[in-house]
Amino acid sequence: MASDSQAEDEEQEDALLSDEEEETEEEDEEDNVDVDVLSNEEIDALMKEYGNVVRSDPEPRKSSAEDANADAEALSMATALATAANEVKAVDIKLFHVKPLIYWARYFLIASAFSMPQVNAIVGRIEDIAQEQYGKIPRPSGKPSGWTLMDFDIYTAGDVVVHIFLPSQREFYNLEEFYANAPLVELPFVSESSSSSTARSDAEGESEEEMISLS
Amino acid sequence: MRPQTYSNVADNSGARESMRIRVPGASNRQYASIGDMIVAVVREAVPNMPPKGSEVVRAVIARTRKGLNRDNGMAIRFDDNAAVAIDREGNPKGTRVFGPVARESRECHFAKTVSSAPEVLR
Repeated sequence: MASDSQAEDEEQEDALLSDEEEETEEEDEEDNVDVDVLSNEEIDALMKEYGNVVRSDPEPRKSSAEDANADAEALSMATALATAANEVKAVDIKLFHVKPLIYWARYFLIASAFSMPQVNAIVGRIEDIAQEQYGKIPRPSGKPSGWTLMDFDIYTAGDVVVHIFLPSQREFYNLEEFYANAPLVELPFVSESSSSSTARSDAEGESEEEMISLS
Repeated sequence: MRPQTYSNVADNSGARESMRIRVPGASNRQYASIGDMIVAVVREAVPNMPPKGSEVVRAVIARTRKGLNRDNGMAIRFDDNAAVAIDREGNPKGTRVFGPVARESRECHFAKTVSSAPEVLR
């Protein structure tokens, strides 16, 4: 091209400059893409066009909206399980909101039972309610014993963990002290305290007496 | 963790160090990793507490120097080998666990250990 031959005739620097100018003029309409410096939009566009997801996190971080839903669902399930435990006459039922303390659970439900058959009854009742109302099965964790634990998942992390203790075991492990910083959630019923068997709500007391008289 | 491996006992059950003997339930299993139950003998114990030296206990491995690899590509290694003493039913013998625990213990049915742990590693 005539302009190129002119550039060759000139000095080196000028030649280079004019060459560049020539190129920019010729490639006026194309993006002057310098590969070393790509803007974010350009990178995104390239990724979208050519990118391939090789592996994604199986536990993706939830958006705050999803998280709030999960919180609400966990709370309703935890209170339903607490009510179920209360119906089987578990005592000292406490619901701790442990999400601020630990990442792997939202609520701890701690209850006491007086005998192994009662523990089994509570376990059965809680499993039934979880299955029917929420479709959740507890993660398998061995035979019921002095400390029985039931681990319910809502998402991949277990959200409601139920601990059923015999009173001696509850004192021994003292989880309430360990999680003392967790706020207690108010339950829709008055939980019977193991220390005083006369501490019952009126409704509960009446229904209990009715049951006794019927049996 | 191989047989004869010494590990710290990471709870307040009274044992301090234990030595792995076997993995129960498998005939000749060589390696036990985080979240596996092992049979171990107490090698060193806090004086005046229930586990005596040379008492055989079951334990759950909480930390290993070898560590483990996760599905998402993350690898976790610890600075020590540690186990938590449990009874035959899986209940921890001590009331508290010391040091962090990998969450795999929970997935291997030892959520009670994880409940008593100060820190659970994601």
